Amino acid sequence: MFSLSWEQPFYFYCLPLAVLPWLVQNTTKTVAWQGFIPLDVWSRYLHLMARLLISVTIVFLLLALADPYIPEQTIERTRQGAEFVLLVDRSRSMDDRFARRPLNTLPRKTDVKRSKREVAKDYLAEFVRRRDDDRFGYVFFSTKATEILNLSYNKQAILATINAGGLGKGISKTDIVQALDLAISMFEDQTYRGSRNILLISDGGQILTAEQKNMLKQRFQQMKINLYWIYLRSMRGMTLDPSDDDSMLWIDMPERKLHEFFKKLGTPYQVFEAGSLEEFSHAIDEIDKQQTQALIVDERIPKQYKHDIFLWLALFTLFPIVLSRLLTLWGATHHQKH
Amino acid sequence: MRVSYQKRILFTAISMLIAFTLIAAALWFPLVPRDVDITDSIFVLDITDSMNVKDVEIDGEQVTRLEWAKQFTKETILAMPCGSHAGLAIFSESRSLILINPVDVCTTYHDLTQMLEQINPHMAWARSSEVSKATYTAIKQAKKIQPVPSIVLMTDGHESPPLNPKLFPKFAGTPGQVHGVLVGIGGDELLPIPKTNPEGDLDGFWGVNEVMQKDVYASMRGDLQEYYENKPRTEHLSSQKKSHLATLAARVGFAFLSSPDDPNELVDVIKSESEPIVQTVDYDLYAWFSGIALVLILLVFLPYSLFSRKRNPSSVHD
Repeated sequence: MFSLSWEQPFYFYCLPLAVLPWLVQNTTKTVAWQGFIPLDVWSRYLHLMARLLISVTIVFLLLALADPYIPEQTIERTRQGAEFVLLVDRSRSMDDRFARRPLNTLPRKTDVKRSKREVAKDYLAEFVRRRDDDRFGYVFFSTKATEILNLSYNKQAILATINAGGLGKGISKTDIVQALDLAISMFEDQTYRGSRNILLISDGGQILTAEQKNMLKQRFQQMKINLYWIYLRSMRGMTLDPSDDDSMLWIDMPERKLHEFFKKLGTPYQVFEAGSLEEFSHAIDEIDKQQTQALIVDERIPKQYKHDIFLWLALFTLFPIVLSRLLTLWGATHHQKH
Repeated sequence: MRVSYQKRILFTAISMLIAFTLIAAALWFPLVPRDVDITDSIFVLDITDSMNVKDVEIDGEQVTRLEWAKQFTKETILAMPCGSHAGLAIFSESRSLILINPVDVCTTYHDLTQMLEQINPHMAWARSSEVSKATYTAIKQAKKIQPVPSIVLMTDGHESPPLNPKLFPKFAGTPGQVHGVLVGIGGDELLPIPKTNPEGDLDGFWGVNEVMQKDVYASMRGDLQEYYENKPRTEHLSSQKKSHLATLAARVGFAFLSSPDDPNELVDVIKSESEPIVQTVDYDLYAWFSGIALVLILLVFLPYSLFSRKRNPSSVHD
């Protein structure tokens, strides 16, 4: 567990400098005859000790300079939350104005003037900000699905990705099958940590082939993924579930077909039909409320620098040396006076 | 010259005492605020077909221009001081698409590099490559981000369909309002461009008759026939279009950097081009204190006698 990494490992090349005290003595005194010096075992030990302490001090200082640190670590904790892949439609139709009033009604001041994509961006960002412990991934799709952000705990990264999704114009049409397939595959090779969700944000439907239906069904059940669909209604009044006052035109809408299929998916599925800002924010609130199961989260422990330990050690080993040197100096000057 | 014993022990005692004090200072001296220039930038990577030409090198290995662009972007992000922000975008057709708004290069390094890895030719949503217009859309979108980032566009400058030399796409903005750098990628030799099918997989090379050799305007007019008859039909081949990139850079008020070797060079250009934000970071001076302490201790144990004997052999006997 306690493994140090080194920021400036080239200081290790200087470690041989620690032998200098054993090779060089600059504070020796010329004595006329060796015999004058009394044989003192204690002083010999002290001398060895002093050299050793200096060597060790040099080593400690070099180790401190090499800047040891414990790298950023992740620890698994259990929190309340869920894992979400945000599957965001980036087709051209998302450039259209959100909750546009029907052409035969008078404009009101409360009309939203922003595109569906901008509105979706704002609410997603709001949702992500609220959910502290969740892990988010981001996929956008048009005719091709592109995984932009792997499942990540980094709030800054996911928010910046969501905000980037609100810029510019849409690309082309949509292919929901490929998009869902890619979103599911983001959970593959991942240990099961807790509730897995795909949050599909789209304004269109698609008629699927039997083959595609089977494939999606199998994949969703196998991976235990919940599906949420925030459907940005393009036609006012139309609902995904058939109602009594249906217009003839709505019966075969691809959105309805897709909704029918999702209901038979065999995995928890919920749709939110957002036709106004209130409905959209309600949908986001509802998902927020539902997803509070236990989730294993990785908690990051930031990089910690440990050079202080070696500085302390160097301070302790150098202290007796400083004392002895001051004593020597005091002794020499004192001796001279006599 | 030989220093007397008295002076030697005096010097030793003093340097040891100072070294001790410096180590204590290394431990307890407060962090010093220091100003660092940081920048916000968005790296726009060209992912059009011509970027699949293998005429650049990473460590002596021939790689595609796109791989080089990805590697160089990664190194540049790494070379930026913490606190700097970097975003990523791709361009295909005539538009730049921002994938992530600028985020801190240190705390989000992992996510940024992962996203960078994902960028590939499959992401292209159309097969044309209109560099000038893509630059304009990048500028337009950058203005919507606060603070406005600089744009670093990595491209070979290959325009397909070709531009009419007299009818440059009009730039609606003010040159220099958004800062940026065009980074030119690719060799000088004209090479065949790998072709991608609608799924984005490589599938042969573009043939001479498969691409537009004339710009749209000229192909509809008869009076320029003569000019185009003498012009070589090379639009299916690609090299780094330096003069075009330089013209484009001048038009939008960007700098132009052709095939840089060192990511630090690009970081410096980004800094000098944009208006860096000064950020104060707390700086630990411990390395200076402990370094000087170490030098002082080593000074005591340097083999001076070796030097002094060589220089003044007589002084040994004083």
